[in-house]
Amino acid sequence: MPFDATDIGLSILKIAIVLFMMLNITPIMVWVERRGSALIQDRPGPNRVGPFGLFQSFADALKFILKEDIVPAGAHKWLYTLAPAVGLFPALTTIAVVPWGRDFRLPEKVWFGHRFFEGRPLFEPVIANVNAGILVVFALASLAVYGIVIAGWSSNNKYSLFGGIRASAQMISYELSLTLAAVSVLLVAGSLRLTDVVWEQTKYFVLFDTIKIPAWNVFSPAMWIAFIVFSVSAFAETNRLPFDFAEAEAELVAGYHTEYSSMKFALFFMAEYMAMGTMSALVVTLFLGGWDIPWYNEPPTWQGFVLSALFFLVKVSVLLFVFVWVRWTIPRLKYDLLMKIGWKVFLPLAILNIVIVAAFIAAGWL
Amino acid sequence: MEFAIFFFFAAVAVIFALVVVLHRNPVVGALSLVASFFALAVMYVLLEAPFLAALQVIVYAGAIMVLFLFVIMLLNLQHVAEPVTRPVQQFLGYTSGAAFGLGLLYYIVKYAVFAKLPAGPFVTDARTIGIKLFEAYVFPFEMVSILLLAAIVGALLLSGRQYQKREAAP
Repeated sequence: MPFDATDIGLSILKIAIVLFMMLNITPIMVWVERRGSALIQDRPGPNRVGPFGLFQSFADALKFILKEDIVPAGAHKWLYTLAPAVGLFPALTTIAVVPWGRDFRLPEKVWFGHRFFEGRPLFEPVIANVNAGILVVFALASLAVYGIVIAGWSSNNKYSLFGGIRASAQMISYELSLTLAAVSVLLVAGSLRLTDVVWEQTKYFVLFDTIKIPAWNVFSPAMWIAFIVFSVSAFAETNRLPFDFAEAEAELVAGYHTEYSSMKFALFFMAEYMAMGTMSALVVTLFLGGWDIPWYNEPPTWQGFVLSALFFLVKVSVLLFVFVWVRWTIPRLKYDLLMKIGWKVFLPLAILNIVIVAAFIAAGWL
Repeated sequence: MEFAIFFFFAAVAVIFALVVVLHRNPVVGALSLVASFFALAVMYVLLEAPFLAALQVIVYAGAIMVLFLFVIMLLNLQHVAEPVTRPVQQFLGYTSGAAFGLGLLYYIVKYAVFAKLPAGPFVTDARTIGIKLFEAYVFPFEMVSILLLAAIVGALLLSGRQYQKREAAP
């Protein structure tokens, strides 16, 4: 592989941008979660630190850092320490294949007497545009369960162990419907590459030769089942209410992270919110048109890129709020019900949707 | 650069594979196997087959090993050193292991030293693999499906019988 300074520089820039966003999801979402829950429960919520309690997250972070880091005497020390890092790794890396803006050709520039961007290289706002795209997402997401399972087992605490066992059963079950729901989208796009999936959605459905609807997969008559299955499974995959059985305060104290304190606990916290961010980005990319702005043709310049990236951010933020909204609205299911729904409702629905989409494609409607 | 990555992950794969065999604790063993599988996936990436790498992680590290861990944790195995009760089986195990190792060594020497491997680049994307699987290799593919189905039915039958027995007991 030839050494290309521009390429490497741009890659580092992209990684820096994405990492900055991912690391900032946690403090912002903690604030949204607390204020949002207060809004839903008709109480003020944290409003003392800074305007609207905005700096509460900084206070929380400081508190996490200053707390004593306790390792229980009966714990498996190595795995106990490793677990939060293992949990954070997939949450941080999965986003790498998700495109977050329209690509554009960089203009040639002269800075400090050096010519930059010769031949106008293409700037693709995705860290790794691999042709296995969505499979990489599922591969990394399937590793997310290990952080929870290792934490649950190594704590040497029966509640933690229950949390870990539940998480492994739950995530294996819902991964299937998640993957199968995504297959419908891939059938239409004809590619595993997520940039292709988004480009497919920038087209329009035309109704009665007059009404133009953006060809987002969620508006597709064949795909709304897959959208519902994917979104609900996303809640189960990220261990959020109504599916947070790994944590389940009412039954398991705090589930898999009962014994954790200080920054180790904070890492689990961060992993949860980052996984939420990644899942929202995935739902947006697969079903809600990615960075596409409806009824607007983004110009292939940096202005178009910025607009589309901002629009992508808005869509992801709305979905993140939905995550919070659902958490404080719908109570936790029973565990057997969770398994029943996963295997007997969502899995058949996802397979049914694949058949429907295949039929639509065979009939030439999609 | 590629060589450095290769040797690092090859070492990781081998070391964790050794941990799987030698470590007393079954949970540590299972997790080491996950790490070993992950290092193997990196090998596939180096061979420019990201599709296979993703499948390796999804199927082995992501699905099968989670089930392994689930079972190990459910059984809550106490790691006590078991005395050797079956010397014949142990002897057979060591011999077959050694034979397999020798066979591997033979092929490594044969291909690394004496024979030229076919040169790349290979087409390894999902489309090509899918078409090959359902055209040229459709019979072996269906055979594997039937094998898996038989295993599922067998598992159901075995666990089902146990369940009946337990209910019949007073």
